[in-house]
Amino acid sequence: MKKYTHFIFAAVVVAAMPLLMQSGSLASEVLIFALAAMGCNLLLGFTGLLSFGQGIFFGLGSYTLALMLTRWPVPMPLALLLATVMGALGAAVVGWVAIRQRGTYFVMLTLAFAQMFYFVAYTATGLTGGDNGLMDIPRPNLSVFGADLWTLASPWQFYGFVSVIFLVVFWLLLKVSRSTFGRTLLAVRDNEERAAAIGYNLRLLKLQVFVISGAVTGLAGALHAMMTGLAPLSNAEYHTSEMILVMTVIGGTGNLFASLLGSAFYLLLADWLSQLWPRWLLLLGIALMAVSLWMQRGLWGLGETVWNRLQGHRKQSADTVVAPSAAAVPAKGEQA
Amino acid sequence: MSPKTPILLEAIDVEKHYGKFAALGGVSLQVRANTVHSVIGPNGAGKTTLFHMLTGTKTVSGGRILFDGQDVTHEPDHRRVQRGIARSFQVTSLFLSLPVRENLRLGAQGVQPARALNPWHEPVGARAQSQVIDAVLSKVGLENLADTPAGNLSHGQQRRLEVGMALAARPKAIFLDEPTSGMGIDDLDDMKRLIKSLRDEHTVVLIEHNMNIVMDISDTVTVMQMGRVLAEGMPHDIRSDERVRTAYLGNMITGGKA
Repeated sequence: MKKYTHFIFAAVVVAAMPLLMQSGSLASEVLIFALAAMGCNLLLGFTGLLSFGQGIFFGLGSYTLALMLTRWPVPMPLALLLATVMGALGAAVVGWVAIRQRGTYFVMLTLAFAQMFYFVAYTATGLTGGDNGLMDIPRPNLSVFGADLWTLASPWQFYGFVSVIFLVVFWLLLKVSRSTFGRTLLAVRDNEERAAAIGYNLRLLKLQVFVISGAVTGLAGALHAMMTGLAPLSNAEYHTSEMILVMTVIGGTGNLFASLLGSAFYLLLADWLSQLWPRWLLLLGIALMAVSLWMQRGLWGLGETVWNRLQGHRKQSADTVVAPSAAAVPAKGEQA
Repeated sequence: MSPKTPILLEAIDVEKHYGKFAALGGVSLQVRANTVHSVIGPNGAGKTTLFHMLTGTKTVSGGRILFDGQDVTHEPDHRRVQRGIARSFQVTSLFLSLPVRENLRLGAQGVQPARALNPWHEPVGARAQSQVIDAVLSKVGLENLADTPAGNLSHGQQRRLEVGMALAARPKAIFLDEPTSGMGIDDLDDMKRLIKSLRDEHTVVLIEHNMNIVMDISDTVTVMQMGRVLAEGMPHDIRSDERVRTAYLGNMITGGKA
């Protein structure tokens, strides 16, 4: 039962948003960026890799989808799939180079890639529309042999489409995070030197997590382009990487559901603050400082602390977050 | 003690240079199977560097390393793990946020690293390697702490888990780099007993400063000084070796000082 708790949490949030929110676009955006933040979380929270390259994969997804839908008669699901693949390919390239270094130099390499990608996107006007981006991206209905299965015209209809994709991806990533692969990533995060000493090939592990992260982020970028009808240069910008990182950290690292919280918190707060004050990013900066100083386990950690207080558990549970209780599940089968 | 047992590990003229400094100036060593082979020497003698060469943590500048009849000189550490080499670290190096059992599971899984890339299946059933882990847990005496995060263990417990991590890989040769470093008196005997018991199933290569332990449980002792082998022999030979006495200023080697 415990195995599905986070999935149920996510499903509840997905179901509640249409009841509590007025804008279907904003709700869709929350899920789209939650996808991107989960991709980032796999790197940062599970593997300990701080990547500024997430904007590249997001941008690649946006451009790929835009090109597919505006220039070639590609069915929409296939366009989404290709955008996902492009995100994965981009991540494979960035990852392949960046994981040769660790720590600061790793971060610098991802930053260098982000800068290069931005200027390539800016210059290659034939493909990307340069400064203007790609516009008038259609949002075709989901159809099979010409018969419409799912109309995506209204924001809430599109939200329904996004939420199905989101929940499927969430379930898949949950599965990945609990697999032997996901559990080995935690070892890499905790102690790279030891992980290598007990037999793991760090490069392969890191490359694989990069590819998965890139694929999810590319898919998010594609959905974003579908939602807005635009693939702007800003989707490929450094700022997108930063935004995805901030959402991941605010939500809480090492926990996939926390990324949904982070995305929702960031976008809803931004939406609200931007109506109050044009300099709202300043306030968001303060929120980030508060997280960095006092609640490093993010909103999820805060929620957990509050919950434990309510339950009367005084015990410090600083370690239980990152080491999910799955680790303690005794094996039922016998050694083969 | 058992000069007839086959040689499991052999180092031939192994050198390691850092710029102009020669940390190892041609070290040759033969480790026989199912023995405890200790490497001793003053600080800076090159013991840990030799360990890094033998386990593949760092690359050699010259010489060859043979393990189980294979030339492993240029294999990285994670390849050598699959041949049956495992090590513990001088400075405790664990997965601190993960439970003891999970630390050991990761140690056991390291021998089949392809499994680590499986993004679909959870490590349950046969993948959980529970028999191996339970055996190691009881060997290092951490059964009751299996679900405690490694970061919450006491120093002595962490040192034992450190050895357990290497054991979980069921290696042919286990390299222990100062397993008793920083340990209290009470923990020392446990560790001594533990290391001694390993000889039945493994070959132990040990770096240790505690001469009581070294002289008690070693089959062979290699003394290093300034990146070279000064002497090698059975414990009682080493104890009475003139050169070793001089190098060590006498009393430390005789067990006068722990």
